[in-house]
Amino acid sequence: MPHVLISSKKCTGCHMCELACAAQHEGAYRPSVARLFSECNPTTAVIKGHTCLQTGCSKCQEACPNDAILTKEITVKVKGEFAGKEKFGDTVKGFVLVVDEDACTNCGECYDVCPTGVIHEHPTREVAYKCDLCDGEPQCIAFCQNPHVLAIDLKVDKKDKELQA
Amino acid sequence: MDFYQGNVLRIDLSSGTSVVEPLNMEWAEKYIGGKGLLLRYMWEEVPPGVDPWAPESPVILMTGPFAGTNVSTASRLVVGCKSPATGILNDSYVGGSFAPEMKFAGYDAIIIKGESPEPVIVTIKDDKVEFVPAMPKYWGLKTSAIEEAMRRDFDADAKTLSIGPAGENELVWACLSTDQYHKAGRGGHGALFGRKKLKAVVVRGTGSVSVGDAKAFLADMYRIHTEYVLTEDNLWANEEGTPVLGQIMSDAGVIPTRNWSTGTFDKMEGINSDAFIKIRTKNRACYQCAIGCRQFHEVDGIAGEGPEYETIAICGANCGIGDIAALSKFNQECDELGLDTISSGAVVALAMDLTEKGIKDFGLRFGEVEGYLKAPQLISKREGLGAELALGTRALAAKYGHPELAMEVKNLELPGYDPRGSFGMSLGYATSDRGGCHMRTYPIADEIVGGTLPPDTLEGKAMKIIWGNPAEGMIGENFSSVKFTGIWCDFWAVTPEQIGQIFKHAWKREFSDEEVFQIGERVWNLGRLFNLREGVEPDDIPQKLYAEEGAHTTGASAGRAIGTATFKAALQEFYQLRGWDENGVPSEAKLAELGVDVRL
Repeated sequence: MPHVLISSKKCTGCHMCELACAAQHEGAYRPSVARLFSECNPTTAVIKGHTCLQTGCSKCQEACPNDAILTKEITVKVKGEFAGKEKFGDTVKGFVLVVDEDACTNCGECYDVCPTGVIHEHPTREVAYKCDLCDGEPQCIAFCQNPHVLAIDLKVDKKDKELQA
Repeated sequence: MDFYQGNVLRIDLSSGTSVVEPLNMEWAEKYIGGKGLLLRYMWEEVPPGVDPWAPESPVILMTGPFAGTNVSTASRLVVGCKSPATGILNDSYVGGSFAPEMKFAGYDAIIIKGESPEPVIVTIKDDKVEFVPAMPKYWGLKTSAIEEAMRRDFDADAKTLSIGPAGENELVWACLSTDQYHKAGRGGHGALFGRKKLKAVVVRGTGSVSVGDAKAFLADMYRIHTEYVLTEDNLWANEEGTPVLGQIMSDAGVIPTRNWSTGTFDKMEGINSDAFIKIRTKNRACYQCAIGCRQFHEVDGIAGEGPEYETIAICGANCGIGDIAALSKFNQECDELGLDTISSGAVVALAMDLTEKGIKDFGLRFGEVEGYLKAPQLISKREGLGAELALGTRALAAKYGHPELAMEVKNLELPGYDPRGSFGMSLGYATSDRGGCHMRTYPIADEIVGGTLPPDTLEGKAMKIIWGNPAEGMIGENFSSVKFTGIWCDFWAVTPEQIGQIFKHAWKREFSDEEVFQIGERVWNLGRLFNLREGVEPDDIPQKLYAEEGAHTTGASAGRAIGTATFKAALQEFYQLRGWDENGVPSEAKLAELGVDVRL
């Protein structure tokens, strides 16, 4: 962690986060290749967010036979609102898991173990792709900015907390 | 080109075939997308004088250039046809997530023609189009069930645009549904789907919409969101939504009550915003919308989205129903059956009126819940009293010798604003390009909600109907026409300047406010030409809404009348300001000035 988390209770299912994520990483609006997603049942309005828990989970990293998932230190600067501001200030330091595309063989081991279903084979590059918190400026949070329904937030774990000092 | 996919999918249901054609970019440059591009395609694709029910009469699904991006609220789809109710153009808008999915599948527009020999569902996954038999599994399903079936049988992320039983029975106010509660409600597109034996169009897209420099675009959209979208002016929709209008309209004598016999509803507190807030459970948004106005409610085991204001007015006050559970149930029935609530409520209110006046006993009375709740089902099946109610208000009232009791314009039932309480609405209804509609211009914003224009005069209103009152928020016909090319939602009070800033991303040039307005005026005039070509009734509204003797005797708008002469003069003033002749025909000079590229 830090990682982003979608609140099932607050999320309105607007999918702005997926759109911004795709635009940031793919250079075009292709939400089927977003790094996070919100699953909404239109009839019942039951919503389930799917996001990467980064080092708080690490199952993809553990499963990778080629050490292609690296732990990287980043500083996150969040645009817009986020609940952690009071605690952490405007920036948060921590670790994220990123794909080393040169080492990745697209073997698919990580796809099978991901509990939230957010690491996949890229449709054109033939390697795994996943959330990297936009290198410190997460666009999903920036576009989940209705101050009344802010549904995406940043969380940190123990490891990250040590870095804050 | 960025933002556009450049593809039109043409579906022929008669032969069960489809073909992809390039989008006409010359038309897109003039008419942008949404309403504008739809009308240009309709001019070409609707055979002049065609019977709307005929196989060659198309239903067209059109997106806007910004669907599938971070441009807030611009995810709407417009569905167009020559309406079987009115015989003129009908552009009906629907939110949800269908239009973006169409774009991701690679299409800006889908043109549907022909008539399938057997009930059919058209499924589209990117470039793969299939015609799936709808019998025996899918035909007959209600709207939530067909969507669930498509997510199960076709694709977990399928987006479905479907008809319910009402559409299958070709009811003239059957609507199209998507994401369950979102309706292309007005004008009978669902009836045409039914005639074409088309249960649903289902789409799943995994492709992309390109916007040029995506990071620069994202940065600008972030700016536009924080500065223009997430403002106090727009957040009313998130916090309360359209139910907030109920009490305001009742207090102003504007809410149609008991088939338009008064403008103030004595049981309003049962169905006003406070009452809905008490049963509110959840707030949802359409795709790519930062506002999120869709309010979910639960009462007496009835759970779901809505009702919205128009339903509260026409199916509530206008039927004398102040019982929130009954109203919610009626709304849910209409949603599941695929019925437009405005026309449904209007015809039930008429039947109640005919019963109470002793003209014809339908067993329906104002405020009585039992018969009221059975009506939607009976109408959709044309069973029992439903067989007669399915005629619609105009034909039903005429059948019993009381045409004055039908509250419609050009055979489209009127929504929830009585012009006797807000005079500007009279002209808005009369000149609306699809018949009785509140979405072309909205004098209510300034005459009632904002209080910045006097509600009891037509003085100077013709100008406002055309151009709006931008400084105060009232939308006029020209501006709504350009806003619906985007296709932006009514609930983002976007300005011409902001529209220009967003257009610039697509067309890589500046758009002045004047040009933005001119695009709207061009679209409006194109619509007028289409209606004249197809044969439009004279612009008028039910006489009691303006005649001296039609004034209310009770409620907050009692005693107010526009006056017949005043109304007719305002209509002529409107034509003159539009550059149209006394019969409402656009002049050659006006069409040339606007660059309209078709002629009668």
